[in-house]
Amino acid sequence: MTTLTVALVVGAILFGIGLYGVLSQTNLVMIMMGVEVMLGGAMVNLVAFWRFLHPEAYAGQMFVLIVMTVMALEMAVGFGVGTGRFRAKGSVEMEEAQDLKG
Amino acid sequence: MLQAIFTGFFGLAAIWFAVVVFRTSSMVRSALALLFSQAAIGGMFLAMQTEFLGVLQIMMMATEMAIMAIFMVMYMMDPGGLGGMDMTHQKRASQVAGALGALAALAVAFLTGWGPIAGEVRPAEQVYGLGIEIMERSMLIFETAGVTILTAMIAATAIAIKRRGSK
Repeated sequence: MTTLTVALVVGAILFGIGLYGVLSQTNLVMIMMGVEVMLGGAMVNLVAFWRFLHPEAYAGQMFVLIVMTVMALEMAVGFGVGTGRFRAKGSVEMEEAQDLKG
Repeated sequence: MLQAIFTGFFGLAAIWFAVVVFRTSSMVRSALALLFSQAAIGGMFLAMQTEFLGVLQIMMMATEMAIMAIFMVMYMMDPGGLGGMDMTHQKRASQVAGALGALAALAVAFLTGWGPIAGEVRPAEQVYGLGIEIMERSMLIFETAGVTILTAMIAATAIAIKRRGSK
């Protein structure tokens, strides 16, 4: 098994675990953790593709930097929304957030 | 060979800690498990000779997860997990969706012909190449990311700030 395959397998499993977390958790913070795990899996794949397929194209590393930015943005906005929700309703449980439905 | 072993070792650690995130009922343990999982991903980057991104990943995630742990203790109804509360729903459907997602990605990983594997990459060359990429071709993307972070910071503060007249 090549290192590329090892990395792709790890990325796939991390993606699956993250997807399970996003769909199964009821708390906003835990849902965000699931998204972080999924993005982690995506980053592993991107680094593996860059390193083992096209190391001359640094746009691959740039893409990873963008994913890291997305992770930070997701945290910032998610916690902002969480704080607003906690002030208004005293909870960040998503099952109690049916009123946000359009 | 050694590279595959180290990548696999850090990969297994990342998977194990990612599982612990959703298995433990203590929120602090959950945040720490996510920190270790992300740090193990950083270890994978280092094993794959992507030094800059590996160090950046470990540094970023250490601070990000420390902040996350504070928020979790603040907002969770049972942060210590002593009450044994179940904070999950649609468990079976989520397990099926997660398994299907992972299987689809694994199928792509194994069934695609990825072509020839590239040789060694020198660390100094790498940092120089990434610097040139950021300052030349991808400069607009990089600048946009910076402005987006600033916008998100302002938006998050505006959402979270206490309304005038509220209790």
